[in-house]
Amino acid sequence: MRKLFKIAKREYLDRVRRKSFLIGTILGPILMGGMIIVPGLLFSITAGEHVTMAVIDMADSLYSDFSAALDDTLKDGTKMFLLKKAEIDGQSFEALKEELKSQVTGGLLDGYLVIPKDIIKSGNATFYGKKVSNVTTLERIEKALNRVVMAKRLARHGMQYDAVQKMMEKVKLETVQITKGEEKKSDFENKFQTSFIFIMILYMTILMWGVAVERSIIEEKNNRIVEVLLSSVRPFDILGGKILGVGAVGLTQYAIWAVFTGTLAVYALSTGMFAQFVSFTWVTLLYFMLYYLLGFLFYSTIFAGIGSICNTDQEAQQLQTPVVMALAFTIIIPIAIMQKPDGLFATVVSMIPFFTPIVMFMRINVLTPPAWQIALSVLIMLVSIYIAGLISAKIFRVGILMYGKRPQIKEVMKWLRRA
Amino acid sequence: MLELRNVFKRYDSVTAVAGLSLKIEPGGIFGILGPNGAGKTTTIRMIMGIIRPDEGEIRIFGEPFNESMKDRIGYLPEERGLYRKMKVLEHLVFLAEIKGVDAKEAARRGRMWMEKLEISGWENKTVESLSKGMQQKIQFISTVIHDPQLIILDEPFTGLDPINTQLLKDIIAEMQQDGRTIVLSTHLMDQVEKLCSKICLINKGHKVLDGNLIDIKMEYGKNVVTMLFEGDSSAIKSFPGVEKVTAYGQELTITVREGLDTNELLKFAADHGRVERFEVGEISLHDIFISKVRGEGGEADEKAV
Repeated sequence: MRKLFKIAKREYLDRVRRKSFLIGTILGPILMGGMIIVPGLLFSITAGEHVTMAVIDMADSLYSDFSAALDDTLKDGTKMFLLKKAEIDGQSFEALKEELKSQVTGGLLDGYLVIPKDIIKSGNATFYGKKVSNVTTLERIEKALNRVVMAKRLARHGMQYDAVQKMMEKVKLETVQITKGEEKKSDFENKFQTSFIFIMILYMTILMWGVAVERSIIEEKNNRIVEVLLSSVRPFDILGGKILGVGAVGLTQYAIWAVFTGTLAVYALSTGMFAQFVSFTWVTLLYFMLYYLLGFLFYSTIFAGIGSICNTDQEAQQLQTPVVMALAFTIIIPIAIMQKPDGLFATVVSMIPFFTPIVMFMRINVLTPPAWQIALSVLIMLVSIYIAGLISAKIFRVGILMYGKRPQIKEVMKWLRRA
Repeated sequence: MLELRNVFKRYDSVTAVAGLSLKIEPGGIFGILGPNGAGKTTTIRMIMGIIRPDEGEIRIFGEPFNESMKDRIGYLPEERGLYRKMKVLEHLVFLAEIKGVDAKEAARRGRMWMEKLEISGWENKTVESLSKGMQQKIQFISTVIHDPQLIILDEPFTGLDPINTQLLKDIIAEMQQDGRTIVLSTHLMDQVEKLCSKICLINKGHKVLDGNLIDIKMEYGKNVVTMLFEGDSSAIKSFPGVEKVTAYGQELTITVREGLDTNELLKFAADHGRVERFEVGEISLHDIFISKVRGEGGEADEKAV
């Protein structure tokens, strides 16, 4: 076992020091964090600019209300929108538009809004601007205009906008997940979102590091170091050391990500916008680690077996396709699982070793399956890892010294019987 | 020290090793010689426990193979392999550690050996930045860094220039004087014949010949004359009693009838050209191998030797 750990240590250090690890580890959370932070960041950037615009009010009675409704302020407390009423004053409508247009191109205005005469009926207005892609700005204009027009329409029927708004308030359905007598507020959509992020991470890391084991074995076969190693250690030590070393790299990456997301979560919470993203607990995290380890051990053992009979990555890719597909299956069925996490389908699928790590984790995340089911799934995984390990070790022993043609499945079966 | 008893190894259609028996005594340098594909590497892999023999028995240090023996054996495989991206000293320490040497001691020995092999200063460079010859030296150090009693070298001189070949030969001789047992496998018979005290010639998985090198040469060399000769070699052929002349450029290997007075041959040769060197009884292993294999059925492919 001591030698196995030496192999694992070398593998670990080698990988952690690589540039690709650094890049992958940093880029992963940046991409994920980007999805969370960037919209918020964009929001705050746009919030920092004044928008100067002119309004041509053909309806002639909306400007003051609109101006009041467009009350968004910037961080420094000043009004965000600087409005100016453009009067037709005898000149033609077209001429006025032409004049405003030149002001927009000249940079005096960010844009101008045309409120047509029949807006109350038609519900249409037009904004002319240099930049029409800033969604938040446009949304605000639309919202304010909407409010003004709706208030006018309601007023015609003798109703007050604010009163109606109150009456129209939606009913919100809160869901409560029952876990061991304790009630926990949650809502399905957030649960689903959180689960899905975790599942994707599980899927990607199991696949990435599993294939890394396979690649590493092919590489060592090709640079012939394998024979040097075999003169010092057992084949099992190489196999086990590699899997352990690479697995530890995966865990290290998680640890780095966890710290990163922790910081991110604090930031996200402080802005108050993304509270839903942190709807996980330490227990979830623990299960996550457990199923990562089980899944990684199982899949990487299989990948190692594949790697030991291949000479190139291309050969391996061909052979690994069914295994990757089995893993990919688990990420195309989450909706079916989520809808009925305690149904027969979900229960059965979560007990098949190829699917257990992801599906069982998914089930645990949306409801708490009976403890015996969790225990059984762990047991099934352990037994499967052991069996996969035995088979892979046998294939590895023979395959690792085979160069040249890739053996046929029939031959591999022969090794298994003989060894 | 090392004993093989009637060992067989078969791959699908080929029998790589067919009933090989060997006995290697402690101390000394033992040469396993033979052409490419003779079964040398397969034999060594079986000794190292990397592959298992189909039949027969292998005993090392007087015992059947077990895993812990690996720490007492140093093995330089024919197919060299190192982690290209690793730093040299770190790599040596790793390879020593999996032989059971602790890291600190391994680093000390690594530095010592690097100095000895004239490559100090490269400790913190990556393996891939080294020249082929230097990588060879690193590989050699990794085979001896754990101070093994039995050292098995498979084609140790390939890729080395003459200076480094000599350096390595000196070190091998030195280790033998330290009381270590060295097994040397190569297809370049002439290159190592001065190094080995005992040899075993194998061909197509069979043992052709084994024993003490001096005895073998005595036995096979008594009817052989080697001569460096400038002149017409066909004249030599006509000398009565000469059975066969093989010419390698100016060097002639002449097989003569038993009881022939070689002095007469020398005089005859001097009359027909210029004799630079004349030796009786000196025969190369290469020639012994060929005559032996030819004699046994003439199947040996001379080009492969």
